[in-house]
Amino acid sequence: MIDCPYCGAENIPGIDDCEECGQPLSHVHGGGASNEVERALIKDRVHVLAPKQPCMVSPDVTVGEVLHQMATNRIGCVMIVDGGKPVGIFSERDALMKLNTEAATLSDRPISEFMTANPETLQDSAKIAFAVQRMDLGGYRHLPIVSGDDQLQGIISVRAILNYLTDRMTSAR
Amino acid sequence: MDVHLTLDTDTVAQVATSNPLCVKVGDSVRETLHAMKEKRRGAVLVCDGEKLAGIFTERDALKLMEPGADLDVSVGQVMTANPETIADSLTVGDAITKMSRGGFRRLPIVDPDGRPKGFVTVAGILHYLVGHFPAIVYNLPPNPHHTTQSREGA
Repeated sequence: MIDCPYCGAENIPGIDDCEECGQPLSHVHGGGASNEVERALIKDRVHVLAPKQPCMVSPDVTVGEVLHQMATNRIGCVMIVDGGKPVGIFSERDALMKLNTEAATLSDRPISEFMTANPETLQDSAKIAFAVQRMDLGGYRHLPIVSGDDQLQGIISVRAILNYLTDRMTSAR
Repeated sequence: MDVHLTLDTDTVAQVATSNPLCVKVGDSVRETLHAMKEKRRGAVLVCDGEKLAGIFTERDALKLMEPGADLDVSVGQVMTANPETIADSLTVGDAITKMSRGGFRRLPIVDPDGRPKGFVTVAGILHYLVGHFPAIVYNLPPNPHHTTQSREGA
C-alpha cells in the first residue's frame, strides 16, 4: 500500500487518484518523483524541519517595544499571538516598508496596526513540499506552523528549507 | 535532470537578483531608507566610486529605528563594511556552501574588478532549486489537507 501525501489514506499501488481525497497520485509512485529529493519532499512532514519557537507578543504591545526586542535579540520576525493563535506577523521587512524613517514617532502605536494580519500558516502535519511551495510562490521568509486547532507551534525559515534541500541533495549525491 | 551537475556548473549570475539598488557612501541613512522603501529592497549595495564598500540591510535599519537614532549620518558610517562577497565566476553550489557556513541571508556578487553585480539571496537559490522539480512543488493542491466531501458516484 502507498500513503497519500495529502490525506494520509492508504491506496493500492499504481492507482491514479487517491481513493479518499481524489488527489492525483501519479507522482507518488514513479511518475513525477524522479529522485530522492522529490520523494523526500512529498514524504517528510514539516515537523522534520524542527520549527523554532518564535518571539511572541500580544496585538496591543507597542511598536517601540517590538522594535527594541527585534534589534537587541537580533530577531528577524515576531509573531503576534492572541489566545495561542497567530493573528499577525511583523518582520524586518515590515519595519522597513511600514515604519521606515517614522519609526520613532510611531513607537507608541500598537503593533497590530503595522503587522501583516492573518499570515499564511501551515499545519505541522503538512508535507515539506507545501512549505517549499508557500515560501517560493509567496516570497515568504518565515512560515508559522500550527497544530490542528490553529495553535502556534513554531516557525520555519526559508533558510531551514534551503538547508533541508541541500542536505537531501548532498546525501543523494 | 541532474541537479548536482547544474549546481556545480551554473554560475551565481543565474540566481542573482536583478537591478540591485546602489547608494553612495556619503548618502544619508534617511535617503537610503526612503530609497529602500520606494524600490522595495531589503538591502542596498553601498559603493565608493565603482567599487563595493559595504552593504546596508533591513537588519542594520532596525538598529536605527530606536528612539534618538540619528538618521542624518551617512550610510557609510553604519553599513557593514567590507562584506563577504562572492565572485561572479563561482557556482550556485559555491554560493550555497558559503551562505550556509557563514549564516548569510544574502551575498553581494562582484566582478574581478570589485564592482558589484547584484545579490545572491536564500530566496533566489530556493527558487532556482524549485525550478529543478517544478512538478512536485507547483502541482500541489491548494490545501495540504484537502479532502472531497464525498466520493464521486458514492
